[in-house]
Amino acid sequence: MQATNGFMKALKCRECGREYPLTATHVCEFDFGPLEVVYDYATIKKSLTREAIQRREQTMWRYRELLPVAKEPTVGFQVGYTPLVRADRLAERLGVRELWIKNDTVNYPTLSFKDRVVSVALSRARELGFTTVACASTGNLANSVAANAAAAGLRAYVFIPADLEQGKIVNSLIYGAQVIGIKGHYDEVNRLCAEIAGKYGWAFVNVNMRPYYAEGSKSMGFEIAEQLGWKLPDHTVIPMASGSLLTKIHKSYQEFIKLGLVSSADYKVHGAQATGCNPISSAQKAGLDFFKPVKPNTIAKSLAIGTPADGFYALKVMRETGGAAEDVTDAEIRDGIKLLAETEGIFAETAGGVTAAVAKKLIASGKIPAKDSVVLCITGNGLKTLDAVVGHTGVPREIRPSLREFEALLTVDDIAPVNA
Amino acid sequence: MPAPRKKQAPQRKTPNSAQESRRFWLTYPPKLIQSPVIWELAQKFEVVSNIRQASVSDVLGILCLELEGRRSVIKKAVRWLEKQGVSVEPVEINVIES
Repeated sequence: MQATNGFMKALKCRECGREYPLTATHVCEFDFGPLEVVYDYATIKKSLTREAIQRREQTMWRYRELLPVAKEPTVGFQVGYTPLVRADRLAERLGVRELWIKNDTVNYPTLSFKDRVVSVALSRARELGFTTVACASTGNLANSVAANAAAAGLRAYVFIPADLEQGKIVNSLIYGAQVIGIKGHYDEVNRLCAEIAGKYGWAFVNVNMRPYYAEGSKSMGFEIAEQLGWKLPDHTVIPMASGSLLTKIHKSYQEFIKLGLVSSADYKVHGAQATGCNPISSAQKAGLDFFKPVKPNTIAKSLAIGTPADGFYALKVMRETGGAAEDVTDAEIRDGIKLLAETEGIFAETAGGVTAAVAKKLIASGKIPAKDSVVLCITGNGLKTLDAVVGHTGVPREIRPSLREFEALLTVDDIAPVNA
Repeated sequence: MPAPRKKQAPQRKTPNSAQESRRFWLTYPPKLIQSPVIWELAQKFEVVSNIRQASVSDVLGILCLELEGRRSVIKKAVRWLEKQGVSVEPVEINVIES
């Protein structure tokens, strides 16, 4: 690896293409466009082969040349390489030939895909000399920053809306993070967090570290391609909050094609949202290349971003790959969670319910043809959003401690009692 | 919308310690697209506005704006914009994630 910047070349504005040094900065000073990491692919191609990757540890860092760290990572060594599960029972229910679930419900250490982006952001933050890290979050990101910072010995500040549910706060407090509840409307809290991020010399993972942070999502796409046997699926269904994950999985596929690690293929990238917060999917369905902000009202809190920062780019990716977007109601989200659990034994958070339910719609409408292969990106664990399904799962049947009562119950289930 | 008070447009001052620069994305609903909101903002508040990007269609107006002025005045200016029906996001757009 090169001495200074590893395989990274620069930060580049996605709007005007101006390049910037690889520091903790995220916005083009000229047009305020977002910055993105660009790499030296010619050099990477010399060392990053299938064989080299397969010799490495089974973590997201086996693709480290394509992740934005200059040296070896120092945070989150165990993150990633989650199971890609062949989901035949779900495929049969949905009516599609080949279906896979990329299961980040078991990502280490905080059971969501956010551990991928956070471990990259914190590793890079350390390289740049930061000792305090921060984020503004209502859930998974806060948990991941708090846990990964604790394990790395970094000081963490986590900003949350003051009215956040107790369970989500405990999941960050337990790691010793400084959790700051901010009272006020969402927009005010959002602006204050941006102001704090600009004022203090901290590594704010999703603000000044965003170009590095967002790149961590690519590892999910790299793993899908490798675990499928070095090929790309015909269709990938991805939940959209800011839209970043969708754009980065597309980027990961493009990078693997560029490096010759997979064959060039016609793949389609599809986006999934909740109907109660669907700025990107409604724009895609209307054929627009821009979205209108919405006020979120959905049980899928992890996707409830009314003004998605990468919405424009997500629309572009779907347009370029021939993908579609769809959205689903709260009832459909719960059905999606139950479908995943009952057919594949995977308990996903509400975002997973969104992805499964959207896949069902896309298959039913023929946008995903029955003969094709599909990967669903399931991004977080259901234990984190129990409230969303409580009261919708049925209740246990109770009996007294009596064999007769148990056997009466079995009769209802049409199971014959065992004779003595 | 009340008629703007008549007064001279503020002179651009050299930034000092009391001056701050903030960057925002403004989103206009269709009913405001024909209103001179930025002109009115400059009339009402001691802020210097600098448009960096703009996209206006018949269904939505999007503007990337730099505001320079005293912190308290910028805050009031943002509140006024919101009262008019303009959505005001920081340049990062959604800082709060799930």
